[in-house]
Amino acid sequence: MNEFKYILKTENLYKSFGSLEVLKDINLEVKMGEVICIIGPSGAGKSTYLRSLNQLERITSGKIYIKDELFLHREHNKTIHKVEADKQKAMLLEMGMVFQRFNLFPHKTVLENVMIAPILVRKKTKDEALKAAKTIVERVGLSDKLNVYPSKLSGGQQQRVAIARALAMEPEIMLFDEPTSSLDPELVGEVLGVMKDLARNGMTMLCVTHEMGFAKEVADRVVFMADGMILEEGKPKVLFENPKNEKAISFLKSVL
Amino acid sequence: MIMKMIKRLIDVKRWKRSSKTAAITIMAAVVLIGILSAIKLSKEEMMDYASDQVKQMIEDEKDSARKYLTITYNNLGVVNYLSFTTSGANALKESYVGFAGQIYQANSGIGKFAGQMVNYTYRMLGSGENLLHGVKLTLLLTTLSMVIGFILSIFLALGKISDNRLISKVSSAYIFFFRGTPLLIQLFVVYFSFPGIFGFSSRSIFPAGDPEAVYKGAFLAALIAFSLNSAAYCAEIVRAAIQSIDKGQHEAAKALGMSYGQTMSNIIIPQSIRRMIPPLCNEFVMMIKDVSLVFAISLMDITTISKTIMTSEGNYLVFLPALVIYLIITAILTFIFGKLEKRLSVYE
Repeated sequence: MNEFKYILKTENLYKSFGSLEVLKDINLEVKMGEVICIIGPSGAGKSTYLRSLNQLERITSGKIYIKDELFLHREHNKTIHKVEADKQKAMLLEMGMVFQRFNLFPHKTVLENVMIAPILVRKKTKDEALKAAKTIVERVGLSDKLNVYPSKLSGGQQQRVAIARALAMEPEIMLFDEPTSSLDPELVGEVLGVMKDLARNGMTMLCVTHEMGFAKEVADRVVFMADGMILEEGKPKVLFENPKNEKAISFLKSVL
Repeated sequence: MIMKMIKRLIDVKRWKRSSKTAAITIMAAVVLIGILSAIKLSKEEMMDYASDQVKQMIEDEKDSARKYLTITYNNLGVVNYLSFTTSGANALKESYVGFAGQIYQANSGIGKFAGQMVNYTYRMLGSGENLLHGVKLTLLLTTLSMVIGFILSIFLALGKISDNRLISKVSSAYIFFFRGTPLLIQLFVVYFSFPGIFGFSSRSIFPAGDPEAVYKGAFLAALIAFSLNSAAYCAEIVRAAIQSIDKGQHEAAKALGMSYGQTMSNIIIPQSIRRMIPPLCNEFVMMIKDVSLVFAISLMDITTISKTIMTSEGNYLVFLPALVIYLIITAILTFIFGKLEKRLSVYE
């Protein structure tokens, strides 16, 4: 069906902040439509990994492939290979990102938040963007909040707008960086609901999360990270019920 | 947009209580001023009150080219002031103040004080003179310098926080220089040194026959100096406001594929504008007072005029109207900026 094997692949990814090594030799392959949950103790490098995928962090060395095409290759802080600027921009747009702290644009209404990037980046007309935005906002269940400023929304609603904003760019992969970590417990459900809906509709997703229930239910694969390394990965059922790595065992014991 | 504003304006019932109070106060003031101006005596009516000696002089000098009698008439709307003076050994001085349909002698006591204040205020407002005089000059110079300075400062601020080391260094050096040297010397450099070094005079920019060329040249120099100076101060305000915006905003914009320019103009700067308002208001108020430095290059602003009056008339009360005028300007400005801040806060 697809002309490529992996929609996203990283090889030997390293990242250090000064002398602190945050990511050590991360290898991961993501297939089209796969939902992968990354779990692990804080400080494991989960967020950094996600952020280095869409270039919010510069990797120290390693290779990133998008749709089997080498997107970036760096060794010892030097870029060995990268695609040309225009193509790089287009390839990065394949990834949508949702942040822990929402990062909505506070001076723009819900609709404007969702419409701005399609208009500025995808060069859509205002009418097209408006029509698409309305559909997407409806999908996350906020049709009655179209012209409201983010400050008037609850955390859960804000995060749903943030998801809608990322979806409006029609990405093929969605990166979720602890999307429910800064929410009040009673608001977590509504955000997970939207994410489950996305997963059901075949979206390729990479979620850093502490919601083990969600990981169990939705993930095709769960990756356990600690100390900047992937220590274990597998089907949720296997990993949750029968972890092999010691750190994974103690981590799962503490969160489940 | 305009129709909507008019509609809201007409819908008095839905006004806020404070707006209603303000509207009533303003209307009452306007009506009062209107009535006072309407019943005020005209110049001719006031002339009738002059002493016989003055009337005789006016009659005598009617057809003569040489006039010993100086007639000063100042109309300030609500009040007006008329004086007759002669110079020489038997100097004559006769003054009147017209107010609320009455005429009062202003040769001594409180009348004299009132007359002087009307006269000084009239002169400081630059009434009857062109734009380059009095309050008009102060406001024109301050506003233009602030607008030009603010526009320049956006580029300076973006330059200072730029990743390009050269641009960043140049911007920093500019800001360091203009904040580290006295404004008065900067004004002198633009007014005296530049024309001196490059061999022209500021008045020669304007047509030879223009009687105001000297003033216009000085005004241009002041405008350049003040704009460059306020750019440096505003740049720090703009930079601080831009850097106070959460890093997550940059990241979100980047993750959505926006370029640096798009992020700045659509996301970061619109949000930082509101945070700039209070310090910019401060800078504006400082600038109004800094503009008084133009007295050093002979421009006739409020300060220069009050100093001139002080020197020629020796009246130490001349600074009173000057202070009041400055206070009124500052109060109006603070009010406008306060409204602006409120308006820009709608999303918070």
